[in-house]
Amino acid sequence: MPESLNTVIDALPYMLSGALITIAVVAGAMLFGLVAGVPLAVGQVYGRRLPQRLIGIYIWFFRGIPLLVLLFLFYFGFCTLVGLNLSAFTVAIIVLGLISSAYQSQIFRGAIGSLPAGQFKAARALGMSDTQTIIFVILPQALRLSIPGWSNEYSIVLKDSAVTFALGVAEIMARTHFVATRTYQHMPLYIAAGIIYLVLTYLGIKALRILENKVRIHGYIR
Amino acid sequence: MILWAENIRKTYGDREILKGVSLSISKGELKVLIGPSGAGKSTLLQCLNFLVMPDAGDVWLEGHKIDRAKKSELYAIRQQVGMIFQDFNLFDHLTALENIKIGLIRVKGMDKKAATDRADAELERVGLKEHAKHYPAQLSGGQKQRVSIARALAMDPKVMLLDEPTSALDPELIGEVHAVIRDLVANGMTMIMATHQIGFSRAMANEIIFMENGLIVEQGEPRKIFSNAECERTREFCSKVTDLYGEV
Amino acid sequence: MEWFSFLRDEILPALLKGFRVSILLIVPSAVFGLCVGIVVGAARVYGNRFVAALANAFVTIFRGVPLVVQLFIWYFGLPYFGIYFSPFVASVLGFTLCSGAYQSEYIRGALLSIKKGQMLAAQALGFSRIQTIVSVIMPQALRRALPGSGNEIIYLIKYSSLAYMITCIELTGEAKILASHTFRYTEVFLAVGTVYLIIVSFASRILEYLENRFRIPGFER
Repeated sequence: MPESLNTVIDALPYMLSGALITIAVVAGAMLFGLVAGVPLAVGQVYGRRLPQRLIGIYIWFFRGIPLLVLLFLFYFGFCTLVGLNLSAFTVAIIVLGLISSAYQSQIFRGAIGSLPAGQFKAARALGMSDTQTIIFVILPQALRLSIPGWSNEYSIVLKDSAVTFALGVAEIMARTHFVATRTYQHMPLYIAAGIIYLVLTYLGIKALRILENKVRIHGYIR
Repeated sequence: MILWAENIRKTYGDREILKGVSLSISKGELKVLIGPSGAGKSTLLQCLNFLVMPDAGDVWLEGHKIDRAKKSELYAIRQQVGMIFQDFNLFDHLTALENIKIGLIRVKGMDKKAATDRADAELERVGLKEHAKHYPAQLSGGQKQRVSIARALAMDPKVMLLDEPTSALDPELIGEVHAVIRDLVANGMTMIMATHQIGFSRAMANEIIFMENGLIVEQGEPRKIFSNAECERTREFCSKVTDLYGEV
Repeated sequence: MEWFSFLRDEILPALLKGFRVSILLIVPSAVFGLCVGIVVGAARVYGNRFVAALANAFVTIFRGVPLVVQLFIWYFGLPYFGIYFSPFVASVLGFTLCSGAYQSEYIRGALLSIKKGQMLAAQALGFSRIQTIVSVIMPQALRRALPGSGNEIIYLIKYSSLAYMITCIELTGEAKILASHTFRYTEVFLAVGTVYLIIVSFASRILEYLENRFRIPGFER
């Protein structure tokens, strides 16, 4: 028992530096997902037939294909084909980001759809253009409503980040496995890794809850 | 004549809501649309500022025909024609003051200071200065509607369209909104209002327009329409309504 | 076309082999996962303080820890205690428990949405607690949980690909092996991706069909 505890304690700094990589990957992917997801949602709700169809296909693709397959396809297949020399870290963010954008777009789409039609009408009646209405009236409300869904998405992306281990990204799992294969203390080390993930999940969700309270509007009930 | 619409038609699916309605209004007049639900009053009002695109018909504002193919003309007419909705439609994520400011800043291009000053003035005009920093969720129905009137007035509209402004309010709150509307009439605002408030209309309107099934059945002075209407149907409607709402 | 014969002679056989393993992984995991979900969900809603707390802890852990870590624990970790599972068994175990935790969420939500009156009426008729849950509550709750549970199974189809990471060779594993031998990563993984997309779309259609078939008019909430 004490041997395993020592191993874990010795490995902890190494594993925690992996946590930094994990956080970087997750943050990058969620940001990518947000930046791509909002226009996708707006396009789905307000766009014309063709953009709507195309967006629908994009979403079907990125929600249907397994993460691992997409990582391999992108890193070994696409990049080699096109001659792009991207690091596993970059590919991880891009692929996780693309998949997250498909899911995030649905969160935003739901939030936009839950707003009463009158909001858009009133803005129009004042003479605002559609673009102005979307930016200044619809999105501020929809984005606030999306925070709980986003919280959920965060915990999903955090767990999916462990899969990027397969590409050699030096995040928590990769480092834990590295130490485990050398010390043979698999069980305690993986349990420690699991605990690190649980803590990261908890911290992230706490942070988002604080954000939710900060941007809350008095008495706003939907 | 400030606003003039000719032969407006609108069909939704297989139902023809407006079957060719024409109306006009001159500066300073208050015209009231009455009629049963489904008559097309709301749709007509929303066609006048092209919130709903009519299938046929034209609208002239101050002698200029609105070219509905041009987006710029549509934005322009909406700036110059104010609209008040039955369910207020205040922007829920903005305070009362910000609701009034947003149109001034984004549509009229005013700078922040000028917009704030103007918004303050409008809010005071409808008697809600202390509620400037409150959100719509914190206001009563009557207060919300007054803010929405302030929001529309801040844009300096030439005409105001009011779509059943008091229908969603508790009876005790109707009075405060009527007071504001009375004020607007006294100051010469041109308005077309759809309402079920017969007593108020009778007292304030220059002309009553009775609509049913997408057509104007009869129009004329309140005195005539309510007591001595020409059409059978008008008389029927008015007698039923005065029974319901009582003579004021 | 050369790639077409490559497709036919090399990719297809590999995919077929992998597909067989994938199905063998997915079906038991889905079924057992649902069972675990029902038991844990019911425990969380109807269990006493201790049982509910235990069930909640289970769910927090198995939803909070990445599936990859869980799989590694079952395959690489258990030998620490002298238990050796094959990659296949470790995978099914991991998928069952992880899926079960998620399923319990949907079951729990569905159970909570059933009006209290249902239970009262059954008890008034003399049903015991267990009888009520089995005969009155569950049939309704399972209908309500169908969209969520169905979606979870679709997720399972996708994350079955993670079995590769503990050397269980299913679709993804076969693809990786073939691709590393032939260096034709793009073609192989596009093919495998397409297979998954087809399976997922097919499963979605079935879910839609089931949702429609079991719909009771006016039962929405």
